[in-house]
Amino acid sequence: MRRWILQICPAVFVLVLLSPQYVLAEWVTWHQFGTQGSYVHQIAHLLLFLSMLFFIHEIFYAHLQKFHGFRLLVWTWAILALWNLDAFVGHWADWTLENPIILGQGWDRRLVMYDFQTWLVYITKIDHFLLLVPAFLMFYLGLRALVRKPGAE
Amino acid sequence: MISLPLAPLWILGYLSSMVVLILTILSLRLSRRLVEQDPENALWLFLNWLAIAFVIFSITHLISHSLHDLITYWDRPDLALVQRIFGGFDTVIYVAIAAITLFFHRIQRLYRRMEADHHHLEATSHEILALNREMEALVMERTMSEMALGMAHGIRNPLHVIGGFSHRLLRKTDEDDPSRAWATAIAEEARRIEQMVERFETLAMRKTSFFAQEDLNVIVRSTLELLLPELKAKNLSLVAELCSEPLVGRFNKHLLKVALAHLVRNAVEATPRGGTVLLRTAREQQFAVLILQDTGRGMPQEVVEKVFVPFYTTKIGGTGLGMVFVRQIVDEHRGVITLESQVGRGTTVTIRLPHRFTDRPEMMDELPPAAPPEAPAAPSTPEAGSG
Repeated sequence: MRRWILQICPAVFVLVLLSPQYVLAEWVTWHQFGTQGSYVHQIAHLLLFLSMLFFIHEIFYAHLQKFHGFRLLVWTWAILALWNLDAFVGHWADWTLENPIILGQGWDRRLVMYDFQTWLVYITKIDHFLLLVPAFLMFYLGLRALVRKPGAE
Repeated sequence: MISLPLAPLWILGYLSSMVVLILTILSLRLSRRLVEQDPENALWLFLNWLAIAFVIFSITHLISHSLHDLITYWDRPDLALVQRIFGGFDTVIYVAIAAITLFFHRIQRLYRRMEADHHHLEATSHEILALNREMEALVMERTMSEMALGMAHGIRNPLHVIGGFSHRLLRKTDEDDPSRAWATAIAEEARRIEQMVERFETLAMRKTSFFAQEDLNVIVRSTLELLLPELKAKNLSLVAELCSEPLVGRFNKHLLKVALAHLVRNAVEATPRGGTVLLRTAREQQFAVLILQDTGRGMPQEVVEKVFVPFYTTKIGGTGLGMVFVRQIVDEHRGVITLESQVGRGTTVTIRLPHRFTDRPEMMDELPPAAPPEAPAAPSTPEAGSG
């Protein structure tokens, strides 16, 4: 099964890359908000957000929050839920931003903050640092706590 | 107009993406260790799958976002196709993580139900086992007592003959006859054996450790107190008409409680909400009578006939042993259980526990010590010794 997946996935990837441009016409513009791809991506974020809430509910329902490891995992899911909302808003702002004004060249490029949406794009791009890193740090620490105390289950 | 540098944003984004990648890889190692510790733990398996999904997420997310920045801010439209492919993977992995989590949510529910069922089954098995052991011990002890009494009774008769004749011989023998000493020795030894048999008999009769002097009304009341929440939960009215005088007898309180609790639970299960369960105790000649009546759905005759058949059950998940135990418990008290039922009208269970059985040990206690027999033709055989 694993071998089959390892063979098929690169084949599909190469096939897509070599496909004629008109076949990919629909795909190429998927990041422009309003296309099917962008909707799917945004719905996926909402779905992920809901699943995070479900998991938190499950942890509390099973009274697992009394263990340190699971408390950290709850924090992971809570931050990831927040990140999903942030990403949802960020994607919407980014994909609907028309003709951003960029000054300078190379690493000196600067984004002109001419409206609220530009500010929103800039701020939500920091989400990786503000939300994803602490979320995955909590995930790692939670698992470490569970490994150290296997009886915690 | 304010303009903000994009470089710190990119550096921060790439660095944090790299940190996320490292953290997810480290987390995957930990989750694998959890699975190795307990491969059958659903929670660890879920966390391991999630850790795998997070590693893929961190890779695709890093690539798609980096490519997006390159295209938007570095004028690299040629990378658009690759970026969109990785963006697609990104979406797929979100859905995969959500699916794993939601699937886990359902699995966890099933797992918990299975665990609860398992515990329930284990508890029931232990209960049945303990009850069975007690019943076995009770039967064994009673059998041994009966055997001992039978043996004592068997020895006593020839002993009376020996003792009686030795006394006659003594009366007919002259004082200076040398055989008189032999007859005296025979009479004395017969008397000693008889005393030993008496002590042995008394001990065997008194060995009733499983039974104690109890009031049936008290047993019924304490059992009902335990079961009252179950009746209230189903909004059933309980009518307890207990005999005004104490129904004292030699009962096994624990076993009777088990039997009564089982019968009341059956009545509760069979009776629809708002119904009535009636429990009555009474004295009826030599019996202490317990009647349990419900206004439940009742049973057809073919089911009533099989109620006491081992492993016969109409309940899903039932063992078919409950009523068998109830009858065995009643049997151990030398009692009689009868069951009458009519479909749609309810069921009545009647238990009659004899006083004769319960009073017997006291009768033995009051017996006078056995006197030496006057004649071998009329050995003294106490009435209670026959049991």
